[in-house]
Amino acid sequence: MDALYAIPQLMFYLLAGLVAISSLMVVTSRNPVTSAIFLVLDLFFVAALYAKLDAHFTAAIQVLVYAGAIVVLFVFVIMLLNLKPDALRGIRFSVGEAVVLLVTLIGFVIIGAELASPVPEGLPAGPLSVAAIEEAGGNTHVLAMRMFTSFLWPFEIASILILLAIVACVMVARKEKPESGKHNLKAGAGR
Amino acid sequence: MNPYIPVLVVLIFGVVLGSILSGLAYFFGPKKYVREKMDPYECGVPKVTSADEKMSVKFYLTAILFILFDIETVFLYLWAKTFDQLGWLGLVEVAVFVLILVVGYVYVVRRGALEWD
Amino acid sequence: MGLNELGLNVEWLQWNQFTVDLVAFVVKFALLAGGLLQLPPLLVWIERRVPALMQRRRGPNRVGIFKFRLYGLLQSLADTVKLIFKEEVVPDGAHKVFYHLAPVFCVFPAFLVACAIPYGPDLNLFGYVIPLSVVRVDVGFLFIFAIASLAVYGVTLAGWASNNKYSLLGSLRASAQMISYEIPLGMSLIPIVLIYGTLDLGDIVKAQSTFFQWGVFSAPFSFLLFLVCMFAETNRAPFDLAEGESELVAGFHTEYNSAKFAAFFLGEYVSMFVLSCLAATVFFGGWQVPFVKYDTVVALMGGSVNLAAIVCHIMLVLKATFFMWVYIWVRWTLPRFRYDQLMSLGWKFMLPIGLANIVGTAVVLAVLRFR
Repeated sequence: MDALYAIPQLMFYLLAGLVAISSLMVVTSRNPVTSAIFLVLDLFFVAALYAKLDAHFTAAIQVLVYAGAIVVLFVFVIMLLNLKPDALRGIRFSVGEAVVLLVTLIGFVIIGAELASPVPEGLPAGPLSVAAIEEAGGNTHVLAMRMFTSFLWPFEIASILILLAIVACVMVARKEKPESGKHNLKAGAGR
Repeated sequence: MNPYIPVLVVLIFGVVLGSILSGLAYFFGPKKYVREKMDPYECGVPKVTSADEKMSVKFYLTAILFILFDIETVFLYLWAKTFDQLGWLGLVEVAVFVLILVVGYVYVVRRGALEWD
Repeated sequence: MGLNELGLNVEWLQWNQFTVDLVAFVVKFALLAGGLLQLPPLLVWIERRVPALMQRRRGPNRVGIFKFRLYGLLQSLADTVKLIFKEEVVPDGAHKVFYHLAPVFCVFPAFLVACAIPYGPDLNLFGYVIPLSVVRVDVGFLFIFAIASLAVYGVTLAGWASNNKYSLLGSLRASAQMISYEIPLGMSLIPIVLIYGTLDLGDIVKAQSTFFQWGVFSAPFSFLLFLVCMFAETNRAPFDLAEGESELVAGFHTEYNSAKFAAFFLGEYVSMFVLSCLAATVFFGGWQVPFVKYDTVVALMGGSVNLAAIVCHIMLVLKATFFMWVYIWVRWTLPRFRYDQLMSLGWKFMLPIGLANIVGTAVVLAVLRFR
């Protein structure tokens, strides 16, 4: 039976590894569309990690908003700007850069291990334990209750942030003067 | 049983099925290379311009607005789930939230950002 | 013998909730996948016979076995075989990997989403309760939305990888349309969550136990919004701008032929089926038999929960069939929209109505429930 209990642990390492690999692919691919697709995969695996932590709502939102919406925007921008693989310089390291990168990475690992060292034993207790959340009506329910009571202000401020983003994106994409904005697509539309 | 085990299995099944379908003709179909056949389809005439034309900025704008309203919808789902427990308080909170976004929506419409011409 | 030595506990292999769940999952999914794979040939046949009826033509009626023509039912089978044995022409300049990957992205979300629909009330076999949905997660139909939103990549990649300007334009149009109508689609179901207080599709069906509790009566505007979005999300007429033949040849799958073309069809028809099931589940009582309560159905079936489940399952299939019929009916009735009309319908009409619908429903419910 010990083997069965090891499976969740194994799943975590598997998923974490997949996240790391796909993240690396995102930043090292020379084709921007390849990067975008690996980003989708990456976000999907992160969602799987959330799901593994019983954060069902966060997992669903991760896929819905990040993988299903934000990367769509990235893909559109890639197509809009028509980025070609040739137009981008591939990543080539000199020996010095590679050493610096390696040292930095090792440093991060050490700092991360230091920070993470006092690992609490077992699962969290109290009102946020898995059992208590199930008791209170499930992950989504508890999250919603908290958001609309304890975290009311952040929620309302989120709406203002979204408003600002709406205004900003309309400003960025605002129409240019018709004289300068002659586009062959528009001319071909015939309307 | 963890509810995500079936999800994983179905996901793998879907990917494998899609790949098999995608590859079927490669194994069963004939392969006769003719230079002209490999041209991009352009209703029979030789290719005039390549497919690299830049696309309208409207698509990009649509995608951004989609993200923003998508996030809004997600927040509303959370509220709808706990509507009965939150009562009037929740309704007022969400009314304020929606009102602020309606301002943004009206701005978008007024600026003509949703006009496709 | 032997199993204990391999480190596996024999008790684990006996019938318990876990093994029952596992076996039930395999059986349910095999049945579902088998059924879904039958869908495209059948629907293609219907989609050719029905317009023929509407336009007083004959439609495909030749292919059959020997003298038995079976109303041309085997035409689709012949077409499938033909598609598989066709030469696959990958255009020069296509991005090879994504060209082959795009159909996969169209197929797997559709199958995954189909698994989240409750196809009937719980079975009770040998004392174990078996729910009739393959996948059931905590977030209910947010799961469906999340997975369905990935289908955009199939369309986008197909267009981009083909190196054809019609494909690219078609895919951009299709993906912009799909994301635009995802918002009203999401908004249309919020009143349902408000009314029934749950995100779980199984619970939503159970809450619609009497005829006038059906979603279509408690949230009529939601139903109308949902109905329009159904067509837009699957890129079906009157919103099939993505493949407007008159301007874009075939849209995003212009450069696709042979079995890959069939894969796109599979994805399209499965998502049609899923959205039909979803419409039936959320707005038309799902597997509930109209005018008859579930308990009465069980009583009529001689107290057998399993027989009642079969009856209820047939009810759901009938309701879903109705919506698929609507898909085909509308396709041959309404002309295609123009792209700017489509976008302004989505953004300027559906979105505000969706929001107003949410606020209106919430206020009415608040007055009714909280005073």
